[in-house]
Order: sequence, then C-alpha cells, then structure tokens
Amino acid sequence: MDARDDELPPADPAESLRLIARERATTARRLTPDPRLLLWPWGLAWLIGFGVFFLRFGPDERVYVDMPDYLPLTVLLGLITLAGITTGFVGARASRQVSGPSSRQGAMYGFTWSVAFIGMAVLFSRISDLLPVPDANLLWAGAMVALTGALHMAGGALWNDRVLYVLGLSISVVNVVGVIIGPGWHALIVAVFGGGGMLVAGLISWLRMPR
Amino acid sequence: MSADLPELDPVIHAQARLRVVSALSTLREADRIAFPRLQDILRMTAGNLSVHLRKLEDAGYVEVTKTHQGRTPTTLVRLTGRGRVAFEDYTAALHALLNGTANLQEEL
Repeated sequence: MDARDDELPPADPAESLRLIARERATTARRLTPDPRLLLWPWGLAWLIGFGVFFLRFGPDERVYVDMPDYLPLTVLLGLITLAGITTGFVGARASRQVSGPSSRQGAMYGFTWSVAFIGMAVLFSRISDLLPVPDANLLWAGAMVALTGALHMAGGALWNDRVLYVLGLSISVVNVVGVIIGPGWHALIVAVFGGGGMLVAGLISWLRMPR
Repeated sequence: MSADLPELDPVIHAQARLRVVSALSTLREADRIAFPRLQDILRMTAGNLSVHLRKLEDAGYVEVTKTHQGRTPTTLVRLTGRGRVAFEDYTAALHALLNGTANLQEEL
C-alpha cells in the first residue's frame, strides 16, 4: 500500500468496521504474552518435579525408584527456577513493548511471587528439620502448592482471567485433598492434577486468544 | 438514494490512520506502546507510520513521547483521551450509517 492509498477511506462503513475489528484482534494477539510460555514451564516442572518426588518418597515411606534423598528436591527446585526465569523473561519482553500501568501491574505481580516464596522458604528452613522427613516434605510441598494456587487466583482476579482463576482454585482444592490423604500421595496428586492442570490451562488460554 | 452521509472524522477516515487508531485503542488508557512494536504490528514502514502519527498528533489524538529505557532511546505512542473519544464517535457513526442503510433497504 503506498502513501496515496493510505489516504483513501475504506470502501464503506461495513468495511471500516471489519478493518477496525481485524486490527484490534491482531494487536491484542500480538501484545498478549503466549499463555503457553507462561504456564507450560510450570506445568512441566510440577509434573516432572513432583513425579520424581513421588517415586522417591512414596506413600508409607515406600521408595519406588532408589535415588539420593536430596535429588527430588533439587530436581523440583531446579525446574521451578527454570520456569521462573522463563516467565520473567516473557514478562520483561512484554513490558519493553508497552509501558505504563499494565506493565507496572505485571511487574508488581511477578515480584509478589518472589517475595511470597522467599518468605515461606525462610520460615520453613528454620523449622522443617524438627519434623520427620515425610512430614517435612509435605509441609514444603503443601505450602508451595497452596501459595501457587492462591497467587494464580489473585492473578485471575487482577486480570479478570477466568481460566487463571479456575486454575488457581483447582490447584488449591487438589492440594487440600492431597494433604488430607497424606505424604507420598500428595506428590502424585499434585504432579498429575496440578502440573497437568497448568498444561491444560495454558492450552485453553492459547486456544481462546483472538485470532 | 443519495442520503447525506453523517460527517465522518476526516483525520481517522483514512485507511492507514484508522488502522493506527484501532491498534492503539486496544491499549489501556495510560499505556504507551514502543514505536518499533507498533510498526511491526501494523506492518508499515517507519517513515509512513511517522507521517500518520504526526497527523494524528496534530489533531491531538495521539501523544508521542521520546524517552530512554536504560541507555536506548525509545519512542512511545499513546492514544489520548481526545483520540479515544474521536475513535468511539467514529465507530458510533459507522454503526449509525450501517443501520441507516439497512433501514433504507428495508423500506425499498
């Protein structure tokens, strides 16, 4: 389209409205971070991390796969760190494109996650040694999942995003069920439903993006 | 059938500027988009986009800010309150036109 055509009005009102709708959908799609990039790294981290946890610290202290007892937590924390870096990267890229209230909101929300988890970790590392290993594991995992569920719900409320809100709610419910059933099972339930839930939520949000 | 068309804002009523304003209208009130990103979304050349932004700026519909993000100079673009109102009026006029035409056809 050369500069001359640019000055021409759209052919008719209907064409103008189509053009407006098309342009708005394109812009919204291009500016919204891909929900798969935001949720799948976490889904995979939980699926694999808690899966390994279950294999080493099964119900009634069963060991399905023998491995050093520090390994499951190392794998889980490693994967979670990777997921955190990925989402941080995606968020930072989005904020370089659009600045203002939206990017401030995103940055504050991201920072909230870090602060909440650091607060939890500092407290638990002081007291978890007092507990038997299965209970200490359940304390860490249960609180981590509870916090994640609550923060996803808060995110859903913040952006009026129902998929994210329902994801947070499901994670919270699954967590409570797992904690009641007990150590071992909790890891399996969280891996399958929590991790799987994030993969599904990422897919649904992606499919629902304007096209 | 030469019913007088309601006045359509000539600043917005040009394909290129309508696309610019439509894209900007998806941002939240005080949000600003980086010029290269806008250019990329609209698939316009930098020169072409600048020309149209200038016209929109002259009408008071957009605000172009030059700033720094770290050490890199950046140009940020935002739809002003006035621009938003103009866009809404324009859209409303289109709907009115469309309904008017539809009614006319029904009468015929």
